[in-house]
Amino acid sequence: MLHVMQTAARPIPDGALRAMFAARKSVFVDLLKWDVPVIDGTYEVDQFDDTHATYLVLADGEGGHLASARLLPTTRPHILDSFYGELCEEAPPQAPDVFEITRFCLDRGLSARERRTARDTLVTALAEHALAHGITAYTAIAEMPWFQQILAFGWRCRPLGLPQVIDGTMLVALSIEIDADTPTQLAAAGIVPSIDIHAAARVAA
Amino acid sequence: MGMHVMAMQFIRIVEEVRTVDDLTAAMQAVTDELGFQYFALTHHVDVLAAEGTAIRLHNYPDRWADYYDRNALGVSDPVHRASHVTSVGFCWSRMPEMIPLTAEDRRVLAMGREEGIGEGFTVPANVPGEARGSCSFASEAGQPIVVDLLPMAQLAGAFAFEGARRIWSDRGHLSKPPPPALTDRQRDCLLWAARGKTDWEISRILSVTEETVARHIKMACARYGVSKRTLLAIRALFDGTLTFTDIFRR
Repeated sequence: MLHVMQTAARPIPDGALRAMFAARKSVFVDLLKWDVPVIDGTYEVDQFDDTHATYLVLADGEGGHLASARLLPTTRPHILDSFYGELCEEAPPQAPDVFEITRFCLDRGLSARERRTARDTLVTALAEHALAHGITAYTAIAEMPWFQQILAFGWRCRPLGLPQVIDGTMLVALSIEIDADTPTQLAAAGIVPSIDIHAAARVAA
Repeated sequence: MGMHVMAMQFIRIVEEVRTVDDLTAAMQAVTDELGFQYFALTHHVDVLAAEGTAIRLHNYPDRWADYYDRNALGVSDPVHRASHVTSVGFCWSRMPEMIPLTAEDRRVLAMGREEGIGEGFTVPANVPGEARGSCSFASEAGQPIVVDLLPMAQLAGAFAFEGARRIWSDRGHLSKPPPPALTDRQRDCLLWAARGKTDWEISRILSVTEETVARHIKMACARYGVSKRTLLAIRALFDGTLTFTDIFRR
């Protein structure tokens, strides 16, 4: 089931969001060794996890986390303009219809095949969410191998600047343009959801 | 013209190309802009054996390309092997620090130089579930490469490979039947086998009989149409049924 949620991160809410913050700790802190804050030794929550963030969370039948992503409005402080402005040739895009994708997270408990399914479902959900909410572009920051995968999803990507090595990792800032053709482009590249997103989507307070 | 503007022009062109000839023309132009003479866009497979299903596009001198194909260098090419140990573009002169080079590797590199191929820059391109690939740019022997332009080469390589992927998949070459599915128990047995355990050891770990372990592995081999467990493990790693993290997890 796909959950689309907006909520304050503190106190840590129940259900799908709690599972997501724990999965984020497991992936970004334990696995990828990112230096980001951890709450109660269990949940990865940073200063952008506030009421302005929107979360897309893919959960299994029992509410277990499968995959998730956080969307930040670019009209407020977000990661690209706060920390990685130098990755952009011009000023980072800021507009009411442009959101930044951060914390794209695939659960570590999934097998390779399940990860692929969860990834494709979440990518499709991101495109559908944009179309349903008048979002015309996403921005993101990616390491090079992940960037090659993002390109392979088939949607229209643009680098916002040249790749640069920051703290030992080569990063690139990118924008993903979303329009009515995007779902077709994704499908043509073999990115198809495992569930009917329209039927499963629900908005929680 | 700024590097980013040059990169954006190339990206726009690559997005529009629909044929191998158009992509070749775009690659020639960007190779020139980047200060190189040669490019090679390829999947790391034996291209003759792959019979046109693998991505392959280059403007290397014919003699060198023929030699390369005849000797199936696509799979053992030190440049390709080096690109498997990094996720970002690298200069060929750095290869000895990246991978152990055999005497044969050194001979192949020397032969390339004799054929006029000098220093190069290779951008790895790996899409999970598909053969690994890369985009290389190379200069004529004796010509220096323009280091300042390498960030653009990195970006151009990523988009060029995706452009080639799209053209090859439009021809239906990249679509494959789904890989065979193993049962959870078959996968568990294979995982421990890949970690180097014998059937007896696996039977202790999973609390089943040794015969059961042997049967699970045999059935898994049958699903993949292979007869050796080493090959089974390699195939399962390649299609993502197993991951290196699974095998080395502590």
